[in-house]
Amino acid sequence: MKIGETTTGTLIAIRGANIWKQNQSYRYIRLGPFIFHITEENKKELYNTLQSAYFHSPHEPSQSSPNLQQMPTRLATLLERWLQTALTKTINNGIILFDGSLTSGTPDTPTQLMREILATARKKGNTVLAFSKMTNLRFNGHLITDAIPKYKPPYLLETVGLRPKPPIALLGDIYVAKLTKGNYAFRLDIDKEASLEQKIEAVEKLLGNDYLSQSYPETLRLAHILCTFTANEVIAMQHFITHKHGLKLINRPDMHRLLFGPFGKGEKKA
Amino acid sequence: MKLYKKEGNILQILSFQNETVEKGDYLLVEDADAGKALIAQIIDMQFASIPGILEELLRNLPDGGEPIQGEDFDPLEIAPHITYIQDASLLICKIRATIENENLNPSSAWLPSRSQSTIKKLPIPTLLKLAKINGKLPIILGGTKDASLLTMDASSLDGRLNIITGKKETGKSHLSKLLMLNLIGYKATVVIFDLNGEYISLGMTVDEKRNVHHDKIHVLTPSQNFKVALKQLNLHVLLEILIHALHLPGTSAREFRRIWQSLKERDMLNLHDLGEAIRNWHCNQHVRDALYSRYYALVNSGFFTDNIAEAAFLEECLFKAREQGGAIIINLKNTSPIDRQIVVEYLLGKLVELLTSWKLKAVFLFAEEAHLYLRETYWDDIVTRMRHFGIFTTFITNQPDTIRENIYRQADNIFLFNFTNEHDLEVVSRAARVDAETVNSIARDLPPHHCLVLGKAVRDFPMVVKVKALDVKTMGETRLFFKEQNKLAS
Repeated sequence: MKIGETTTGTLIAIRGANIWKQNQSYRYIRLGPFIFHITEENKKELYNTLQSAYFHSPHEPSQSSPNLQQMPTRLATLLERWLQTALTKTINNGIILFDGSLTSGTPDTPTQLMREILATARKKGNTVLAFSKMTNLRFNGHLITDAIPKYKPPYLLETVGLRPKPPIALLGDIYVAKLTKGNYAFRLDIDKEASLEQKIEAVEKLLGNDYLSQSYPETLRLAHILCTFTANEVIAMQHFITHKHGLKLINRPDMHRLLFGPFGKGEKKA
Repeated sequence: MKLYKKEGNILQILSFQNETVEKGDYLLVEDADAGKALIAQIIDMQFASIPGILEELLRNLPDGGEPIQGEDFDPLEIAPHITYIQDASLLICKIRATIENENLNPSSAWLPSRSQSTIKKLPIPTLLKLAKINGKLPIILGGTKDASLLTMDASSLDGRLNIITGKKETGKSHLSKLLMLNLIGYKATVVIFDLNGEYISLGMTVDEKRNVHHDKIHVLTPSQNFKVALKQLNLHVLLEILIHALHLPGTSAREFRRIWQSLKERDMLNLHDLGEAIRNWHCNQHVRDALYSRYYALVNSGFFTDNIAEAAFLEECLFKAREQGGAIIINLKNTSPIDRQIVVEYLLGKLVELLTSWKLKAVFLFAEEAHLYLRETYWDDIVTRMRHFGIFTTFITNQPDTIRENIYRQADNIFLFNFTNEHDLEVVSRAARVDAETVNSIARDLPPHHCLVLGKAVRDFPMVVKVKALDVKTMGETRLFFKEQNKLAS
């Protein structure tokens, strides 16, 4: 999340969390907030340093670094991948839920890294289920999560025949999951390498062990809640920065308001 | 601390956890550029409205109401900053005065700079110095929160109307004893209507030895060492007793006046001859019966005597007190309600007589639960007419609604102990020298023996004081059935 701007760049904060359910109660490990000052000058070095430090990437560091606007998301994804890696290495015989899909081949999701994460999980007897809140996949012009048959939940609807353009690769089989009553269904990616029985068993275990509200697992919901920065935390981080680094907070003039008065919706709303 | 808002004479100040302030504390809001400063008192403390606070609290309780357990890895140590922001408080302060060129004025008509003003706690000793609350006749009331002594000037009780009020067992009588003993220390004459016999041992220490005040404490118990002879009585005082305490009708009162004058002319003003005169007086039988019943009420009270020697003690005590200061304690403990009214009517009449003839300079009157013996019309008398004669009253009550509103309006000093009942607080807040917000907010949280002093004694800077202990034998303790068991248990 962007928490401010300086004359040379942007101040961002990221945070990640792992949630697990054990003995009927949820527990968490939350990492962060980590605050970065990103400038045009340091963004490449920063990104590559983090990437090589945490993923020991065998490849050459990326020559083209993300632009300044993309940096908050890119750094957050780095932290997410690192958390996922740590999780697959430490959990045995479990169901691991990821936020998002198992699509790889984007700058955020290097195929090699994603394959390694899934392979480690499999080696430890885990099955990875990835829930996406949003999807662009369509069937007959409709989003796959909208065109759902009126069966009694829980059910999984398998999608077949998806052929992404390289370098995009699908590392999971894609399902539409409607796990509880209600209006919502989600895209669910399950590790492609798992057998059909394993996949079904994993979803059954999830249904039996986690609380699901509107077809969405509670563990993922808690992870989102714990990571989200509240306004109070943003103020606290700004307070930290002003105290630690002697920065002075000023409000940047809102050009929309300035120019259009009551008709300007403000930069954030525009 | 940061200045947030000013609405009327209310300031809202943002304060953080490391700034230890409490309700009742004074703050100095100084605007160096304007060369002025506001003195404001904290009357309430609230949580500051921090954006996102609800989400923050809800987030920590997602698991069926139980806080979710976990670990936070916070390498930059942001958590203390979050707590710092979350615990920010909003101080609601009442502006009491403005300081300009070291002079105090009660104005709040200017606006200090929000960004440039500095806000700091104003220590009570500094405030006392600024407000010049000291004087030549100091009475140490006790300690303030910052361990300094709160001293008022005895002259701020002189010519004033005071009210001491609060819940049961909060220390009202204790404070009245403190004021009273200090007044007699300055050679003042004090009269106390002691309803429960609480003041009779003021001349003794806790371990029952005579204390420095012993010779100045005069306990007068009606019908025992406090009696009155008819010859000493002024007709109009006796008529007041008959009409107001014994409810004698007007026609009968007129006949009584004639009987009295007839006896006086013949120098026969004694109880026996008064009874005989009523019996033989030519008048309507109903009038005679009415007069007879009142006559027997007077006789049965035991308060009246024909022995002049027996009836001289009050004046003796008052004149002694005039010379060296002293307290005349009218012990009304075992006196019936009617006899109580007779005694009070007589005493007030007598005091007015002595003050009018300048035989006495002035009297400080302490009246406990005055509604139990003071007739309706006396309330106004005491606060208006009698003040001019030199009777300066302090009312002590745990039922503030028994004191009339106009008395509150004219009160110069109010010593307010804890009240939790909103109705009681509302009554007290009608006083002219106090604002409802201060009373409602501060009095509700006062611990026992802590008193909010309002009015001239503190130059209208309300202050909370823990009333100091006295080395006198207290008699105001409640008699308990389970006292022994409780003692053993503790």
